[in-house]
Amino acid sequence: MTTQSPGRPAVWPGLVAVVAVAGFCYLFLRVEHQWAVAALAVCAVVAVLAVRRTAWPALAGAAWSEHPTVLGWISLISALLFIALFYENHFALLMLATVMLYSVACLGLTIQFGYAGVVNFAGAAFFGIGGYTAAMLTLHTGLPHLLVIVIGGLMAGLIGSVLVLPLLRTRGHYAAVITVAFAILFKSFLEVNELLGGPQGLKVPGLRILGWSFNSNVELGRDLEVSFYASYAVLSLALLAVTLLMVKRLERSWVGLSLDVVRLDETAAAVFGFNVAWWKLFAFTLGNVCAGIAGAVYAMMIGFVAPASFTFAESLILVSIIILGGVGNPIGVLPAAALVILLPEKLQVIQEYRFLLFSVFVILVLLFRPQGLLPRRLREYYAGWRRA
Amino acid sequence: MLSCEKLTVRFGGLMALNALSLQLHEGELLGLIGPNGSGKTTFFNALTGLYRLASGNLAFGGRDITGFTPRAIYDAGIARTFQRSRLCLPLSVFDNLMVGNHRKLSRGLWFNLLRRRRFRAELTRQMEFARTLLRTFNPRLPQRLFDAAGSLGMIDRRRLEVCRALIGEPKLLLLDEPSAGMTHDETSELMDDILAARERIPGLSIILIEHEMSVIERVSDRCVVLSFGEKICEGSYQKVAADARVQEAYLGVE
Amino acid sequence: MDLGLLGQYAFNGLMLGVVYAMVAVGFTLFFGVLDVIKFSHGDVLTVGAFTGLVTYLGLSAAGVTLHPALAAAAMIVAMLLMALLGAGIARFLVLPLRAAPPINVLLITLMTGTVLRESIRLFYPSGANPKPFPHLLPTDSLSLGSFTLRYDNAILLILGLASIVVIHLIVTRTRLGLAIRAVAQDGETAQIMGINFQAVVLITFALGSALAALAGVTAGLYYNEINFGMGLLLGVIGFSAAVVGGLGNLYGAIIGGFLFAGLQTLGAAWFSVPAYKDVFSFAVVIVLMTWKPSGLIAERSAERV
Repeated sequence: MTTQSPGRPAVWPGLVAVVAVAGFCYLFLRVEHQWAVAALAVCAVVAVLAVRRTAWPALAGAAWSEHPTVLGWISLISALLFIALFYENHFALLMLATVMLYSVACLGLTIQFGYAGVVNFAGAAFFGIGGYTAAMLTLHTGLPHLLVIVIGGLMAGLIGSVLVLPLLRTRGHYAAVITVAFAILFKSFLEVNELLGGPQGLKVPGLRILGWSFNSNVELGRDLEVSFYASYAVLSLALLAVTLLMVKRLERSWVGLSLDVVRLDETAAAVFGFNVAWWKLFAFTLGNVCAGIAGAVYAMMIGFVAPASFTFAESLILVSIIILGGVGNPIGVLPAAALVILLPEKLQVIQEYRFLLFSVFVILVLLFRPQGLLPRRLREYYAGWRRA
Repeated sequence: MLSCEKLTVRFGGLMALNALSLQLHEGELLGLIGPNGSGKTTFFNALTGLYRLASGNLAFGGRDITGFTPRAIYDAGIARTFQRSRLCLPLSVFDNLMVGNHRKLSRGLWFNLLRRRRFRAELTRQMEFARTLLRTFNPRLPQRLFDAAGSLGMIDRRRLEVCRALIGEPKLLLLDEPSAGMTHDETSELMDDILAARERIPGLSIILIEHEMSVIERVSDRCVVLSFGEKICEGSYQKVAADARVQEAYLGVE
Repeated sequence: MDLGLLGQYAFNGLMLGVVYAMVAVGFTLFFGVLDVIKFSHGDVLTVGAFTGLVTYLGLSAAGVTLHPALAAAAMIVAMLLMALLGAGIARFLVLPLRAAPPINVLLITLMTGTVLRESIRLFYPSGANPKPFPHLLPTDSLSLGSFTLRYDNAILLILGLASIVVIHLIVTRTRLGLAIRAVAQDGETAQIMGINFQAVVLITFALGSALAALAGVTAGLYYNEINFGMGLLLGVIGFSAAVVGGLGNLYGAIIGGFLFAGLQTLGAAWFSVPAYKDVFSFAVVIVLMTWKPSGLIAERSAERV
């Protein structure tokens, strides 16, 4: 039963949460020594467990529900400040951008799996389709790069829609196997296809928008040189913000409701007039477009694409992120992506073991806390609608 | 209003419905009765397009709806409840109601993503509508509009399911044992509420599957009795109750 | 095409079919009994193959040189250990999730498969590379015209077919099999009738996993090579074979296995570039599952509306 709190929830608990998270991330990225990193990680776990027993999560959650615009802008500005703080740190900026781009791809997966219930074990393949499209288009055509990114997304959506017929005809978990088959097929195809560079892959030219080259360091004044990754980080942030906004709006609308019904009970959905096939196609395609766009930007940032980056195991990493974060909750994607990407990078010793480690994590989550880090809550069509 | 001619549904070798013919007039409340397994729910499933007809014709409001998909059947104005409760338990009560309201919701992407103020207006209208409907069935339900459907008790869940079918203002309502698990008084109350809701939707026809005969006796205009997928009797309740074949179907032969 | 080559292709296809069928039968058993897709099945096969290899290495280091004995030991040890592993997975990872949405079971078994696969890759000495598997069966051959039939391959083929027949007999002729079929049909009723549900589930998983282990060692002995990723590929195809044959249907699984093997062999013969055969195999998976989503021999379960 919900209890009505008197008056509107305050905004400051949300602020505190943003500051705390930002502070922790700053420390985590700054720290070099392996033991310090491990210690920080442990502290984070302890802090999370301790905080959960207090009223803080509820207060912060209420603050966010009530004041999403204010807190959203503050988070955005904090992120920009972050990028500014690490202006000359190539590694940190690359990590930030990677986390954000993976988050975009995982938000796509959230639409597919969290909302529409369409399982996709080929997320990395669609990420890769975006990357390879960007590679081919920038290498062989003179198309403006922003358009290339968009086309990367569209290609992923297009190729994904070919899979939709099998997905619609098969029930639940069989459909999952089709995406697994596609994931393996995709990597094999890339490896044998000489046109796409074979096992070595392709080099990708850096991003250039309106003459601004993303791949050269920016010089501000005589002494200030900003890492070229900063441009990518800002672009990724913009992309993440837009995607997050879109996903939230989608969920808080009749579209979100339609997707939920299709996921929860196809028969009831059909009987009440929902076009199950259309909604699944929509969710799957939109999700793949997100992954494709993220993949295109990522390829340009990294400078190359190769089959080894888009394996089935990588797809499982994407799925792990959304399970760890809490299926269906777009906000959960961010800390989960940060955990899955940053931890192995900072703690070099576990880099080799990351597939193993995160698989074990997911098993534990599925056994003991299947709703994930930030469980999905009941739909709120807009802030404060319960008091309407 | 509704015309079913020689409906046949087969599962492998089993004849679930055998050349069933049925007519329903506008505004009528038809009681559909028969022992377990006689094909009542199968009839509903065939009518709503979930089961394929081996043969037969369906016409509704003068239009041929044979072979229509469940979506098309809904669009034609037929709504139903399920024998085994099919609510989306993780969703809120309001969300569940809106599931039944598909017809009246604007689902375009442009509208939902970008025209937020108009969306809010539509949302507020629907909330009001939902509250009014819920109030008819249980004055305490509107307060729980934002709770998860899974947090409701069984009786309230059944009421919610009936409301979900009603909220889209259908022309034909199919109720599949709505009172299963309820006491005599609760059943009475539910029936009264359904009849009250019917007042607000002029011309609403209802087919009611029920096991409690007193309910059928009280509310139905006419009855149809099924046994082994066939219609064995039709008429007023008094007539079918006295019919020898009906008694035999329920009680068996001596 | 000369008859010998044709014969060789046919034999390869048969052998592949047997391996797929063995994997598919496992999937079908699991699905039948618990309505679960146990996606770690393929990786259990890999662990079984490696267990067989380790057994061989251990025994020959200890001085055992009799090849058939080594082969038998490898198979038996692998089967026993994988039976335990399979039952363990069922007990600790699958059964606890019975009340959860089925996708959770798929996810947890997928992750388990990854754990198994990665463990081999990381912890077995240079696990990322393919490992040679010894020739443990008599390598003499019989010449039938231009086709050479090697004794070891013939033995493996017969062994594989025999194991499927044994499983079939267990399921259809024994009391255990009756219990398995009862649980597969209706778990709750079976429990009410006095069948120990959990025991039956564990035994079924043990049986299926033992079969997978045998398939793994067989594949090792036939191709003389194993690698950490072999289970994933075999698992996907084996599962699809089970689906196409009709999940829950033993005969369907067998037919599905041979169907896929046949198509794959045809594809290998067709494509001049051997690398594309993987692409072809998985494309076939997708196409076949689209064409016959409920199986060639229809699945027994239906949803109550």
